[in-house]
Amino acid sequence: MAMENFKIAATERSPEVNFDFDGCRLSLRGESYPEDASTVFGPLFSALERFLATIGEREFVVEFDLTYFNSSSAKALMNMLKLLDHAARDGARISVSWLFAPDDDTMKEFGEDFSEDLEHVAFNLVAVEPAA
Amino acid sequence: MAVFSLFDAEEKALEQARALRRSLADAPEAVRDGLDTLIGAYDSSVREQRRLVKVSDRLQGQLASLNQELGKRKAEAEEALANLRAAQDSLIQSEKLASLGALVGGVAHEINTPVGVALSCASHLADATDAMRKLFEADDIGIDDFERYMATARDTSALIVGNCERAAALIRSFKQVAVDRTSSERRSFELGSYIRETLASLGPHIRQAGHRVTVDCPDGIVMDSYPGALSQVLSNFVMNSLVHGFDPGTGGAIVITVDRPTSGQVRMIYSDNGKGIAPGNRSRIFDPFFTTRRGAGGSGLGLHIVYNLVTGPLEGGVAVDSPPGGGASFTVTLPQAVSQ
Ligand SMILES: Nc1ncnc2c1ncn2[C@@H]1O[C@H](COP(=O)(O)OP(=O)(O)OP(=O)(O)O)[C@@H](O)[C@H]1O
Ligand SMILES: [Mg+2]
Repeated sequence: MAMENFKIAATERSPEVNFDFDGCRLSLRGESYPEDASTVFGPLFSALERFLATIGEREFVVEFDLTYFNSSSAKALMNMLKLLDHAARDGARISVSWLFAPDDDTMKEFGEDFSEDLEHVAFNLVAVEPAA
Repeated sequence: MAVFSLFDAEEKALEQARALRRSLADAPEAVRDGLDTLIGAYDSSVREQRRLVKVSDRLQGQLASLNQELGKRKAEAEEALANLRAAQDSLIQSEKLASLGALVGGVAHEINTPVGVALSCASHLADATDAMRKLFEADDIGIDDFERYMATARDTSALIVGNCERAAALIRSFKQVAVDRTSSERRSFELGSYIRETLASLGPHIRQAGHRVTVDCPDGIVMDSYPGALSQVLSNFVMNSLVHGFDPGTGGAIVITVDRPTSGQVRMIYSDNGKGIAPGNRSRIFDPFFTTRRGAGGSGLGLHIVYNLVTGPLEGGVAVDSPPGGGASFTVTLPQAVSQ
């Protein structure tokens, strides 16, 4: 049974989420400070859990390209990273990229901090010039 | 001195839990595993807490510096506004000076013509009189000489009188331009009756030409202002309607409507149904010496005087409108009581 792709357009306070099940890719782009983190991350978590159950041998590429997030989003991101790390521990092939603008020290440091406890996923910090 | 740690209590608890775990090396496997899981979860939770505190500190720091920046920008904007106001004030001052300069220059120019004509007539008359005196002394005046001299004396003296009157009239209107509060008396008056009185004093001009004047003014508006200035304003409007608005021989209509847009304010709309003012001239009619009748009796001071009186002693405003039905229309807004 093929799963539907999962896509949420960005709003002023929430990131664009692009979950391509067939392509085995997930990306979060933009800013994240929703009033209620569960409306953004709730559906994403259940999609992620369903997907991880079916992943098999394929490599799963996850990309975080965020420029700003609030504390609840930070907690949700850590939960997500933990979920991915556990899946990798259980045998999934997962690589996570954390993108930041070269002049954004804050996002770079958050990427370093958030990856501290990751043991099983391949984690890359990537400096990218923001698209004009 | 001990190093300060925000998570001191948590670290100690974790330390104790690990010590407890070590002392339980011989406990059943389920107990050991359960304890390991708990310790791991607590450890990871404390690490998350540290990160979250950092995230929120960072966010609050950003917010604080944004607020600071905002405060700075606000102060800058306020200063810029104050500078702008000061510049505007000095602009108004220099504008006033420039318009005074233009006024003085214009007055000199306007008065030069009649005075020059009067002067050359007078010297012509003096020459002719001198020649007459010589003929008289030689006892040689013929009847022709005498008639020619009489014609010259009649023509030149008429020109002298006419041009001196013109110069005197100009000086009179120039004095009105410079009218100040002290030159006219401030008192209480009922607006409607005062408007009607002023119109009555202009009556001969209006009635002779067959024009109709309607005043629509609520009773009982008592003004505390300068009635002399107000009647000067009205007469200048009326004279303009007669001179510029209405063609000779055709009866025109003038309507004066008064209302009170807000308490303490009166609005007087003066309109005629004459030829109206060309759109291109509307922005200039209040300028001193702007006239479309130069050389035909217009000096272009009438509406400038109106402007000075209304914005000066009367403390109000005046604007020219272009009524869709044609004609000319002026709106004068005045405080019911002036402050000075
Ligand atoms: N009611 C009106 N209808 C048509 N044109 C007008 C009217 N009132 C003023 N104007 C125009 O505005 C010009 C300026 O008026 P203003 O009273 O200042 O000067 P003036 O009447 O020409 O000369 P002065 O009043 O000094 O004798 C006039 O020359 C005329 O072109
Ligand atoms: Mg006039």
